[in-house]
Amino acid sequence: MMITGVKITLILLAATTVLSLCLGTVIAIMRISRIKAMRALGTLYVEIFRNIPGLFWVLFFYFVFPELLPSEWGYKLNHYEYYPIVAGIIGLTVDNASYVSDILRSGRLAIPHGQREAAISTGLGRVQQYLHVLLPQMFRATLPPLGTRMVHNFKNTSLCMAISAPELTWATQQIESLTFRGIEATMVATVFYVGLAGVMISAIILLEKSLKIDVASISRSKV
Amino acid sequence: MIKFINANKWFNDRHVLKNINLEIAKGEVIVICGPSGAGKSTLLRTINKLEPIDDGEIIVDGMYLSDPKTDLTALRAEIGMVFQHFNLYPHKTATRNITLAPRKVRGLSKKDAQERAYKLLDRVGLIHRKDAYPVQLSGGEQQRVAIARSLAMEPKIMLFDEPTSALDPELINEVLDVMVSLAKEGMTMVVVTHEIGFAQKVADKVVFMDDGEILEIGSPPDIFVNPNHQRTKDFMSSVFHIPIFDASQEEE
Repeated sequence: MMITGVKITLILLAATTVLSLCLGTVIAIMRISRIKAMRALGTLYVEIFRNIPGLFWVLFFYFVFPELLPSEWGYKLNHYEYYPIVAGIIGLTVDNASYVSDILRSGRLAIPHGQREAAISTGLGRVQQYLHVLLPQMFRATLPPLGTRMVHNFKNTSLCMAISAPELTWATQQIESLTFRGIEATMVATVFYVGLAGVMISAIILLEKSLKIDVASISRSKV
Repeated sequence: MIKFINANKWFNDRHVLKNINLEIAKGEVIVICGPSGAGKSTLLRTINKLEPIDDGEIIVDGMYLSDPKTDLTALRAEIGMVFQHFNLYPHKTATRNITLAPRKVRGLSKKDAQERAYKLLDRVGLIHRKDAYPVQLSGGEQQRVAIARSLAMEPKIMLFDEPTSALDPELINEVLDVMVSLAKEGMTMVVVTHEIGFAQKVADKVVFMDDGEILEIGSPPDIFVNPNHQRTKDFMSSVFHIPIFDASQEEE
């Protein structure tokens, strides 16, 4: 049960990290778009998903969302074996993406205006400006808070226990109630959470170094 | 090559370009000077439509800028621009700063773009810094990389927006030398600068602007030494640090 818990937690983590980065990037671009309707839509998204607890969204996608669909689809979802995991992924993703988009938006605001002008004046199109000039700088500038947010999202995977997704915290609770060996189970879970968060933080620090984010450190090193 | 016809621009209520008429021929070097806030940079930035004008017309290499069908990417690919604050991409090395646009806009292969970058870096005297990041370069070096980046698109026109204003005095000449050699090769250049020495050496015409208007256009000696307008005289005397003869002070 513990092993399954670890596996499910890892799946939740991997899926929500990737999806919330993608969705967050899209929302961030919408919020800095020159089209007013896009900005409004992006802002609406952030205000809705950031201001309502992540647990609510996990519950919403598990219990409420299937009811909103045509009844046969809802029936299929409710009887889909892995639906707790899918609903958990969606709930955590929409929640985390709202934070990611706001962090990335702050990164865009930190880029001097001249960067875009330089890109425009060499003939780069809008998409190329984002791909090669703006987005790389947005991610670099915000990697430290983005990393912290991702660790937070990792811990949020435990919310999925509320919809019986058999992740690590759920497994720990199950072991406790079935065998009363709560202390042992909790200790294993603690080691796992601390260990994996540590791995994540180390990966982020390595990434910071390899992307040469610390401007001071590159200027010190000789070419 | 570049023609302004009654160009006007407003920033809200401020009339920043007033009835600009100016013609720049192929191979000409034009220096624009004037007090700050005169509209020099704005004028320069209308040429590649970084700033659109509100009224009138600008024709660049046969392309009408007010025509919505004009392909702005094609226009901008023909026009190099060098900025006061260099605006190099901080996350890319000198070489990659230069190769980005030729690869993505002109469709050059990585190898061809790199060869072109090395040639240009050699030309601006920075081939030994090809793998350096912008933060590792001095201001003068950054500006020379920025010039190389613009030249890599093989533009027909080069625009310079106060290219030496953010540089320490001893770094100015290395940038001006590159600009002088470009001018001598016949590049069409429009330069906003207060470097009188540069203007005297290579400018075909000097444009003096004040308060959004072109007050006068003439050869460098005409504008710097014998300007017609009192406003130009005042400006030049302050640039040259020559006190203006004032009769009332004489009497005291």
